Amino acid sequence: MRIRLESPTLSFVLRRLIQTIPAVLAIASLNFLLIHIAPGDAAELLAGLGGHATLEYIEQLRREFGLDQPLYTQYLLYLKRLLTFDLGTSFLQKIPVIDLIVVRLPATLLLMTSALLLAIGLGVGLGVVAATRYRTWIDNVVSIAGLIIYATPQFWLGLMLIVLFSIKLDLLPTGGMMQIGAEKRGLLLALDVLWHLVLPALTLGLFYLAVYTRLMRASMLEVFSADFITAARAKGLSEWVVAWRHAARNALLPVLTLAGVQIGHLLGGSILIETVFGWPGLGRLVLDALMQRDVNLLLGILFLSSVLVILANLLVDLLYGVLDPRIVHR
Amino acid sequence: MLPRLKYLPAFIVIMAAALLATPASAREPKRGGTLTYTYHPEPTALSTIATTAVPVALVATKVFESLLEYEGPGLIPRPGLAESWTVSSDHVTYTFSLRKGVKWHDGKPFTSEDVKFSIENVVKPYHSRGRVYFGNLESVTAPDPHTVVFKLKAPVPYFLKAFQASEAPILPKHLLATTDLANIRQARLMHEPVGTGPFRLKEWNRGSHIILERNPDYWKPGRPYLDRVILRVIPDGAARAIALEKGELDLAPMTALPPAEIKRVGALPHLATSTDGSEGLGPIMWLEVNIREKPLSDVRVRQAISLALDRQKLVDVIWLGLGKPATGPVVSGNPIHYDKRLRPFEYNLEKANKLLDEAGYARGPRGVRFKLAATFLPYGEAWVRMAEFTKHEVGKIGIEIDTQSFDLSGWLKKIYTDWNYHFTSNFIHNYADPSIGIQRAFVSSNILKGASFTNSMGYVNRRIDEIFAKATVLEDGPARNQLFFEAQQILREELPVIFLMEMAYAHVWNKRVHGLITNGVSMYSNWDSVWVE
Repeated sequence: MRIRLESPTLSFVLRRLIQTIPAVLAIASLNFLLIHIAPGDAAELLAGLGGHATLEYIEQLRREFGLDQPLYTQYLLYLKRLLTFDLGTSFLQKIPVIDLIVVRLPATLLLMTSALLLAIGLGVGLGVVAATRYRTWIDNVVSIAGLIIYATPQFWLGLMLIVLFSIKLDLLPTGGMMQIGAEKRGLLLALDVLWHLVLPALTLGLFYLAVYTRLMRASMLEVFSADFITAARAKGLSEWVVAWRHAARNALLPVLTLAGVQIGHLLGGSILIETVFGWPGLGRLVLDALMQRDVNLLLGILFLSSVLVILANLLVDLLYGVLDPRIVHR
Repeated sequence: MLPRLKYLPAFIVIMAAALLATPASAREPKRGGTLTYTYHPEPTALSTIATTAVPVALVATKVFESLLEYEGPGLIPRPGLAESWTVSSDHVTYTFSLRKGVKWHDGKPFTSEDVKFSIENVVKPYHSRGRVYFGNLESVTAPDPHTVVFKLKAPVPYFLKAFQASEAPILPKHLLATTDLANIRQARLMHEPVGTGPFRLKEWNRGSHIILERNPDYWKPGRPYLDRVILRVIPDGAARAIALEKGELDLAPMTALPPAEIKRVGALPHLATSTDGSEGLGPIMWLEVNIREKPLSDVRVRQAISLALDRQKLVDVIWLGLGKPATGPVVSGNPIHYDKRLRPFEYNLEKANKLLDEAGYARGPRGVRFKLAATFLPYGEAWVRMAEFTKHEVGKIGIEIDTQSFDLSGWLKKIYTDWNYHFTSNFIHNYADPSIGIQRAFVSSNILKGASFTNSMGYVNRRIDEIFAKATVLEDGPARNQLFFEAQQILREELPVIFLMEMAYAHVWNKRVHGLITNGVSMYSNWDSVWVE
């Protein structure tokens, strides 16, 4: 189970990376266009938030943000900056965009990774269990529970989990990422973060857990009907070994594909979860930036998240080769 | 018996004082502890020079101070960074004596040079209301390190109201000396504030929290009581309410919770709710009407809409009691400029229908007289429901409404830049004086494309222009009040906007917190006398 970085794989990675450049540029241009189609700008908004502003004040802001320039000039400046990996400065927060992102990114990555691991780990497990117990009560319980969770709105689920685990049972905090001002360090801090992570990761992960369980179950059932499974069973292998060593590995491919595609979706989902749980991540930042027409910040986050999604999918492609050695990247 | 009686009045006064004092100050203020509050959205900066948005002002006013502090709902000036002041008989020269021994959070001494620099170079040109308060400022001089003299071109009746920490913060000159002031909003000081206030910034963890800690060198002996003030960022309204319910938060100021949640958690035994302490802001809600075109250019149509709206129902049903029916542009909480003779607006569908008939808008098919496009201030659920309420109510008199929704940025553009609307819900702050809060919305010189919270309606009334022009330079007193009373009367009759409700900012806090409501801008006060059990 290791990625052999021999020349075909390496050249595949390089080729894919080069292919992403026009894609990223196209995405960046589309983002720019979409943001400028939306009515209103950050200068108006900033003045509006203050409740009162003179015309001079708004024009002063517009000059400051470079919004007084014609659109194509702004676009060219944006591209020029992008080529030097300069994401500019946030209009409202007056801090380099990259700094804002770097501070918030770890929280989102932690949340997404935990949710994804939970969803894939448990989802695959439950899917296999349901498939091996096909049409028994276990299969029914797993399938119905999955369907209910799949259909439950995430923000509502989050609030209900808070009411249950924080208010009624008093086991977990209502939100935030750590106990504020407690100044914990090292292991204590890690445990504190973990304690705060449980509910948001669970809320975000449950939806995908339901998805992967259903997908894994269906995929397993399909693989079970393949000849090589019959052959394995004929060899006298135990059902456990057949299911986990032979079938599951093959059935995993569609799950992996979906997981790769869903990285972007997961990032969208974390906006909701971060809002409900006050989780200080990127998801919340992007929503605020959009509402505030903080163009530089918004473009910066969108740019970075598109790069993130592309890289995640590249990783998934590489994992294919690990799971199924017949797939060779050329 | 007689000799004893002479002590009776004193005895009564003492007993009455003792009675009035309980239970709030039955206990001695305790030093120490943390106050954790929440507000959404998170501040974008920590100085009101960057923006005067509520979340910014909430934090900045604990760190930065101005020359004065204020007492009571009417904001009576009291000494702050200035120990005393004198006003010349012609009301154009204000001389402030500054407190000695005050230090900035970095240990440097505070002097009159800081005041001169802050007002002249920063507040006047860059604060969003700088030109309102200091537009008539001729010069600021600092004859010695502890004296500042403001010279005005003409009297400004509300000049002493300007020195609030949110409106005219005094900044450390030594930290801005090398800053290009044209980019003041990018200055480090906006994010790493250094003030003279009772609290100083300890940590800002973006997206999560801000910690302010006690300024050990604060000039008021024994203050502040609190060790720390923490802002926790919780973007979801329901989650904010739950955190307050659970005791993780001590305070949700200025309607930081949705109205339904205020009603729910406000009833819990460990929480207190109050709508006092925002009189100096005086938010007033109205339907802003574009009166450039027919049929809304006809005053009878506007009067009919006004008659069709049951304001008490609006307060009770939509805002769950958080406010009271408006009687005009000035809020009744303003003890000086509000005309107490004003009566509530009438609710009378019959009269409304009659007015529309007279105006020549007969009912057509399905009983519809005409159609209008309406939008609403995108500040949350209650505003959406108010739009539905309005649509339903004016539907009864044959006006069909098509409701459109925008986000804040889009709304601001539509109303103030494009003037492309029929009517919208809106609110503005009265602030401490009608010349600051009210004038901007109704004078014709403020019909300015692109400037927010101005006269978007296109309302022109020469008498209104004249009244506000006079009131801006007249000494505060009966003659000036008379002008404002007249303005209130005119605006009530002509209805360039349809006045709806005096909003009440509701503050919800844990009962272990004391001393929060102190004056008309309580949440923008420095909280040096707030304490927790």
